[in-house]
Amino acid sequence: MSKDGSSAVFPLTLEYAVRWARKNSLWPMPYGTSCCGIEMMSTLSSTYDLARFGAEVVRFSPRQADLLLVAGTITTKMGPVLRQVYDQMCEPKWVIAMGACSSSGGIFNTYSVLQGIDEIMPVDIYVPGCPPIPEGLIYAIMRLQETIEKGLPRPKAERLTPEQARNAMSYREVITDSIFKDPAKVSLDESFSKSPAPETAKSESTHSKKEG
Amino acid sequence: METLLKNNLVTPLQDYYNPNVLLNLGPSHPAMHGTLRVMCRVNGETIEDASCEIGYLHRAIEKLAEHKTYHQWIVYTDRLNYCSALANNVGYVMAVEDVMGITITERCMYIRMICLELARVIDHIICVAINALDMGAMTVFWMLYTWREQAYTIIEGMCGMRLTTSYARIGGMAYDLPENFQAEMKTFMEGLPKTLDDVEKLLSANRIWVDRTKDVGILTAEECLGFGLTGPVARASGVDQDLRRDRPYYNYSDLDWDVVVATKGDVYDRYLVRMEEMRQSLKILKQLCAKLPGGSIWTEDSRVLIPKKKDVYEKMEVLIHHFKIFMEGIDVPPGESYRAIEAPNGELGYYVVSRGGPKAWRIKIKSPSLALFQSYEHSIKGAKIPDAIAILGSLNIIAGELDR
Amino acid sequence: MSRLLLKNREAQDGINGHLKQNYTQHGRYDEDANQEGILWLVSSGDLPEVVRKLRDDSSLAMDRLADLSAYDNIDGVDGVGRFVFFIHLYSSKFHSRMRIKCLVADGEEVPTLTGVWPMANWLERECFDMFGIRFRGHPDMRRILMDERFEGYPLRKEYALEARQQFSDSLPIRMVTESEVSK
Repeated sequence: MSKDGSSAVFPLTLEYAVRWARKNSLWPMPYGTSCCGIEMMSTLSSTYDLARFGAEVVRFSPRQADLLLVAGTITTKMGPVLRQVYDQMCEPKWVIAMGACSSSGGIFNTYSVLQGIDEIMPVDIYVPGCPPIPEGLIYAIMRLQETIEKGLPRPKAERLTPEQARNAMSYREVITDSIFKDPAKVSLDESFSKSPAPETAKSESTHSKKEG
Repeated sequence: METLLKNNLVTPLQDYYNPNVLLNLGPSHPAMHGTLRVMCRVNGETIEDASCEIGYLHRAIEKLAEHKTYHQWIVYTDRLNYCSALANNVGYVMAVEDVMGITITERCMYIRMICLELARVIDHIICVAINALDMGAMTVFWMLYTWREQAYTIIEGMCGMRLTTSYARIGGMAYDLPENFQAEMKTFMEGLPKTLDDVEKLLSANRIWVDRTKDVGILTAEECLGFGLTGPVARASGVDQDLRRDRPYYNYSDLDWDVVVATKGDVYDRYLVRMEEMRQSLKILKQLCAKLPGGSIWTEDSRVLIPKKKDVYEKMEVLIHHFKIFMEGIDVPPGESYRAIEAPNGELGYYVVSRGGPKAWRIKIKSPSLALFQSYEHSIKGAKIPDAIAILGSLNIIAGELDR
Repeated sequence: MSRLLLKNREAQDGINGHLKQNYTQHGRYDEDANQEGILWLVSSGDLPEVVRKLRDDSSLAMDRLADLSAYDNIDGVDGVGRFVFFIHLYSSKFHSRMRIKCLVADGEEVPTLTGVWPMANWLERECFDMFGIRFRGHPDMRRILMDERFEGYPLRKEYALEARQQFSDSLPIRMVTESEVSK
């Protein structure tokens, strides 16, 4: 209803309205294990104030949260616990890997540290830094809102190639092209199947040359 | 019914009235700070027995010390107690300097003392704020965090990073203090006491706070000695020990300050000790800023001296020297040293064993948090479940330091 | 160099002198870079006895255990024995430090210090976890930092830094007094 009592028409589809609502009420579950957890607290507290992005309702129960904020080193001992927390979250759910440790193991390439949480679960956004400054985390949340608004598909639970990981770490626009393919254009599976098998093509061409 | 019982198909009724219920807290529990885990055997609300599990943040920092050069390992000290990284840096370089026999300059010493005290203030801020937050006092958290952000701004000016500082170097500091340092410190030192007053007004006589913290988690002086507790927790129990006064390093004996000691050893006393220690640290900081001498921040010892960038570009020998320090690492003679500082949480010690060469043979970190968490298992027996949360917050256990 | 105050230096020298005079029957005396005393015990079996003696000696009063661990001696620089086991002691009365060291062979059991200081409990468990040194008489001798299914001892020099052992689930926590509960 508008102010004068006449019924207002919203030029929206319901699907878009749902996405819009989801985007602006992300309930994060902070999984802060180490240094990044402290910076995450800074982000949530007075100076940076994550409430501006509708993501201040911190839920410590995975059942009530839709954004898993993994901030800090995940060790091999912690891995199964984190996976269980992720499994307990209801769909739709998103994951942000905050900091170098949870993205790739960071400076801890050791016998007890998981080399990136993408070994055990899909990750939507990687935030570089050790630890990332609060602005970095806020930027990541804004990017996530963007992907939710556009309704882009989530990445698969597959480990990224080094090339993709490098792009993800540098906030380049490539990130949306390579990982979050626009569903309208081409799906991720199709792009893999469509690309011609390079070996057979090569052998055919050499063969024809020999013939000629 | 009897046949059912015989075949274990139903449990006898009395088993349902077992008072020994096991309750798991953590590792992913908001009050367990992310990585701690306690299994409690509860009878009603009372914890009768508890067992702690650690190692959820074991990152092999000590093993890395054997694989990295002495300078490379400074970054790992940041991630031990990430709430007070400045103090960890200083403690580590002190131990290595002892093995090498290096004397640092006066200005470097003062900057390091400023680091130690600034780290203490921000660490206590986080401890009090989180302890209050765990018990629902959100305002205190926001008020104190404003000043932590202010301190971060100062630290960022000093070394370029907010949390993981890597500020100290063996034989000197990475950078000199920035130009606006004194002015920013002045605002910090004048502003924080006002907030501390406000926090004390909010908490110290607050009925809920007092009810939840007084007589909770009492540790006696004997228990502190047995569990090897140090720092504010031990001082709250009446153990009058402070390495800054007992075994003064740097210039602490020339400054005017007091060791804060309480008597009872409960959560409330630990809170009071931390609040007063912040004021004492600010007092030390004020004196240090007033006395700050000029001169170089680097020792003249050529084994560790990192040359100036200008010389590196212009002089051949300096370039080679620079290359050697960064590519091979500094050569530390065989020897060993145990150097402990009064870190915000208690005695933080680095035991460096060198067998020559650029990498340490073994570095053992004596972390105050390990002793604190071990005593936690003991002190929550007989307490209620909400008390266990209050006690954990007051001990200020940092998982990075606990598991290393 | 170590910037100890004169007062502390004198106290530390007094402790060192006392150690040199009265404790050499237990082992060799040595000093580190900070001129703090090191007592190299001949046999690890004497450990609890010597530690109690040091604690009760009124001119030493080594009443606080600061740290306990070991380091690898695979190259034999410090003598015959796979590991060097060490403890740091602190005297609250004289504010001085000393260190006890002891060579331990692979598989040799060291007597526990949990009877003297309860703090030794976790430190000894950590030492076992990282080096595989077992402690005789310890109430709960199992791994503390690593998973119990973990194989090998990571702080030994032969264990590779990047040798990860991953498990798909976590073990249930074990209460120390579980047997008492079931009774």
